[in-house]
Formats: sequence, structure tokens, C-alpha cells
Amino acid sequence: MEDITLKNLWKAQDEKLDRTMKANLFIIESMQKQKAQSKLNGLARLKLFAVILGILWSLFLGILIYGNQLQNIYFTVSTGMIMLITVAAVVAYIRHIALIKELDYSQSITTTQKKLARLQASTFSSRFILLQTPFYTTWFWSTEMIQASIIKFCLIAVPITILFTVVTIWLYKNLTPLKMHKKWVNYLLKNDPEQVPVIQAQKFLNEIEEFKTAS
Amino acid sequence: MIQKDKDGFLLQLQQHRLIIYKICNAYCKNTSDRDDLAQEITYQLWRSFHHFNGSVKFSTWMYRVALNVAITFYRKTKTSEAIIQLGEPDTEIEDRKEDSAELEKNKNLLQQFINELKELDKALMILYLEEKTYSEISEILGVTETNVATRISRIKDKLKQRFLTVNN
Repeated sequence: MEDITLKNLWKAQDEKLDRTMKANLFIIESMQKQKAQSKLNGLARLKLFAVILGILWSLFLGILIYGNQLQNIYFTVSTGMIMLITVAAVVAYIRHIALIKELDYSQSITTTQKKLARLQASTFSSRFILLQTPFYTTWFWSTEMIQASIIKFCLIAVPITILFTVVTIWLYKNLTPLKMHKKWVNYLLKNDPEQVPVIQAQKFLNEIEEFKTAS
Repeated sequence: MIQKDKDGFLLQLQQHRLIIYKICNAYCKNTSDRDDLAQEITYQLWRSFHHFNGSVKFSTWMYRVALNVAITFYRKTKTSEAIIQLGEPDTEIEDRKEDSAELEKNKNLLQQFINELKELDKALMILYLEEKTYSEISEILGVTETNVATRISRIKDKLKQRFLTVNN
């Protein structure tokens, strides 16, 4: 099959398409009046929801810290750290939303698609949120609790916190795109419905790179 | 000089509507998705229209926006799509009596082969079949001309091979 035949076959569909595609392209009026929502804004909406939740959670923690008035240092430090990490996550998500809003579809395909795929894969860069986990095992500690049973504290509470700290740091170090080739990372992410688009985005990023360098 | 108002936009849209139709046809396999994608492309074109500064041809700019939207849309919906069976006629497009059966078969095959390509290869082949120059294609896709030439040659070989396999 010659080039000219391929191109002629492609052209042969013009008339049919023009005759049969009934899509209403002239929807500008309704777009202006109804402020039509783009179907591609799902990611931004998801992140906005997370931002709202994050702000509410941070405010709640702030109120708790203020109410505690430094009476319990363990509570203040733990809750403060959780709040700090949540605020950092909120800032990161706001940055993502700004990037989504600024996305320019009139840039070259590889540039725009790369930005989009990076945004979708940004869950990896937001994994610092995991670092708050150990603080959920220490907020209820108190001097009274430790003094009442130092042995119980050392045998139960401390090991639990150490375990959570080690696991969290390990996950933080390993849940990265660079470790995607590892079976357990792939298994962990593949079984999480929230992570499927992230994996696809990461694969697409690799495809874009391969597309740009093929020779 | 292109008018930067609503009328100017609608005029350009009318003149270049086939670009949208072809891209929708290549990236979607059912009517409802095609209509959704056509509207999404129109929405994004209208949103970006005030950024169009004439530094590239309107059609080049339009291909960029339309292909970017189509690829993004396709990546969101492709998991629920069924693969069209080999040689199955596209039921969305009416047959015309004057088209020979052979031509009709080959048109459907080409459409099917294009549909089966990866997102970026599909964009590349649409631009090639639309007779864009290598320079324009590299500008739209953001890759080098050498890369464009190499990829097109590979995909064409694959397509020809598939036509040979099916027709023999």
C-alpha cells in the first residue's frame, strides 16, 4: 500500500464525517451563559475537595492546640506536627490547582501532556503527608501516664511509635516513581483505586520520553 | 488577520471543523464520546482563543489544542472502551452506495488501525495523513523533525504490513 493510497483513504472520510457528525460546535452562547464546566477539570475538583478538608482539619487542630494551652507537651507537639504537615499538604495542593488552571492546551503536545501527566503523578510528591502518621501514636501521651506505669509505657507505647516511625520512613523512601519496578510497590499501588491514574500517568510520562527520544 | 471576537472564532471554527471531526473520530469509538469530545475541544479552543497571537497558522494552533484535549480525554475514557473488531464497519458512519466495497473496507481498516495506535503515534499519523509538513508536525508535537520522520516511517511500515496481512 503506497503513501498516496493511505492519504487518499484518509481523505475519503472527509465528506462522510462532515455529513454524519452532528456535534454542536457552536455552543459558545451556552458556554458563556451557563459557565459550562470542562469535563477535564476532575483532577482540580478532587484537589479542591482535599484543600477544603485540609483547611477544616487544620483549623480543628489549631483550636485543640489553643484549648490545651501547653498543658500537655506531648499533645501540643504531636498535634502541632500533624497540623504543620497538613498545612504543607494544603499549600502543595493549592499549587497543583494553580498549575491545572494555568495549563495551556495550545503548547506543543509533548509539553502539555508531560505537565498533565506530572500533575496526575503528583501524588508521589505529596507522599510527605505520610510523615504525620507516627504523631497519631503520641498525641495522647502524658507525664501522668508515663509516671503511672513506666514499664507498660516502655513495653507498649514506645515500641508502637518506633514501629510506626520506621514503617513511615521506609514507605516515604520507597513509594517513589523510581521504585515502580519493584514488585511490592507495583502491587501496593495497583490495588489502590486512587493510585491507578497515578500509575497510568507515570507510564504515559515514560511513553512521552520514549516518543521524544526515538530515532 | 483573524478577528479576535466571537464571530471571528465561529468563522474559523466553521472553516476548520473537519480537524475536530477527524480527531474525534480517531480518538473516540462511540457517538456520545465523540460529541462530548467535540464540545470539550470547542470549549478549550474558545477558552484559549484570546491567547492566539498569529505566530503560527490558525490550523497549527487548532491542531495543538484539539490533539491535547483529545489525548487527555482519551486517557480518561479509554478503560471503558471496547476494541472494534477487525473489519467491522463503523456503524456510526452511513455507507454510501457509490463507494465500492473494497474502498469502504480499506477506509474502515485504516480507521481501525489508526484507532489502535498509541495516543502520541495516533496524533503523529493524523498530522501525516492530513499532509502537514515534517516541520509543522514537529512544531505541533514538540519533537524534532528527524524524530518525526523516523516514527512516521516505522508506523507506515506497520500499517502497510497490517493491510497486507488482512487483504491476503
